[in-house]
Amino acid sequence: MTDRLVRLDDDALGAALRDLATAVDWPASGAIASDGPDIATRVRVRLQDAPVARARAPWRPARRAIILALAALLALAAVAGAVGLGLPGLRIFQGGSPVSPPPTLAPSASIPTGPPGSTLGLGRLTTLADLDAAAGRQITLPSDPLLGPPDAAYVDPLKGDQVALVWAPRPDLPPTLDPGVGLVLMSFDGLIEDEYFGKFIDSGAVLEPADVGSMDGYWFSGAPHIFFYEGNGGGFVDDDRRWVGQALVWSDGTTTYRIETSLPEADAIRIATSLE
Amino acid sequence: MSWRAVHIEDADLITRARAGDVAAYEGIVRRYQDVALRTAYLVCPETDADDAVQDAFLKAFAALPRFRDGSPLRPWLLRIVANEARNRRRSAGRRQGLAMRAADADPSPAVDPGPEGAVMAAETRSELLAALGSLRDEDREVLGARFLLDLSEAETAETLGLPRGTVKSRTSRALGRLREALAATAGADR
Repeated sequence: MTDRLVRLDDDALGAALRDLATAVDWPASGAIASDGPDIATRVRVRLQDAPVARARAPWRPARRAIILALAALLALAAVAGAVGLGLPGLRIFQGGSPVSPPPTLAPSASIPTGPPGSTLGLGRLTTLADLDAAAGRQITLPSDPLLGPPDAAYVDPLKGDQVALVWAPRPDLPPTLDPGVGLVLMSFDGLIEDEYFGKFIDSGAVLEPADVGSMDGYWFSGAPHIFFYEGNGGGFVDDDRRWVGQALVWSDGTTTYRIETSLPEADAIRIATSLE
Repeated sequence: MSWRAVHIEDADLITRARAGDVAAYEGIVRRYQDVALRTAYLVCPETDADDAVQDAFLKAFAALPRFRDGSPLRPWLLRIVANEARNRRRSAGRRQGLAMRAADADPSPAVDPGPEGAVMAAETRSELLAALGSLRDEDREVLGARFLLDLSEAETAETLGLPRGTVKSRTSRALGRLREALAATAGADR
């Protein structure tokens, strides 16, 4: 039989392959499988569990003011870029705040239940054992002895498989603006072509260049700032905007990292360099 | 249901999904989940295919505002699926391999084995699948898209991110290499 296949011309061999399609043991999407919901159901559940995932029609009234405010800052962003305020995949915006700041910077007495960081919209919770596979790349953990292993890990496929490692507060690790979070270390591919992340610096925030080992970075302090990212074509994923306290952002040339912490800058830099 | 009716329905679901209607998007996913899963199965290890499709549909949801109205939805979705599956293939490396299997042979096929292109014997199916699985990624993908998924040249081009002319030439070369793989199998059996 194989000999006969070898002698077939292109059309006949193509027909044999089409016939073969009916004989392949294709995986089931779940629609006809008996072992759980189909892919459509699982996707719907994941979308409902991740408010950041909402697709948006452009120029909905509720977003208009935000987009206009950010658009007004594009000139400032260009200036920022001209003076080097940017890292691969990251744009830093400076100017007035497009939304009201949080009512208080003091940590709330109420600590959310669930894994640390579960209310921050960081993506899908995963285990350290599965982290590399979920992110599609090898994730290096900081070796700084202050931290130890993270208490929770998240991967967000909607943001280029952004990884977030979260440590719960401890006596030696004060809480951030989120009372259930002591430190967040995020990383994302800084070379993604169709989207970039942005930091919006409120007028009260202080931005300083920082040397992170051999890498360039920035230290954000003072008033809280907003973190957001923008998809191609101006599709701001503004559900993800949230107030962030002190933060260190740096890049190794391919990956951009961000640490949110209430620790001093020197401690954040020490933790950052422990990734090298 | 005519193609036009399906197309209009897609457009309606897209409009609703863009406005945040998750149930409408679920309808889109359910319509294309089977071909999406088969696409991923052609590209990455089977163990990753399901996750690749789920993540691809999540990315597609976020990208819906960039979908060009009036263009066909299926190849646009399948391109996102194929890209996601390629990412996972790169992550998995070649260790796990890509092992398409033939379903259990029907002991009493409804159609007698006949000339080329008709129902093949189970043994021949397995040999053809093995030969297809032995091809390099780009050859297996283009033959899989064109013949196993039965996509048009235009759909194959968009799904795989290739110029349409490249699909035609690559398909021809891939069929030649499939023959070589089959010939090698036949020679080894003698």
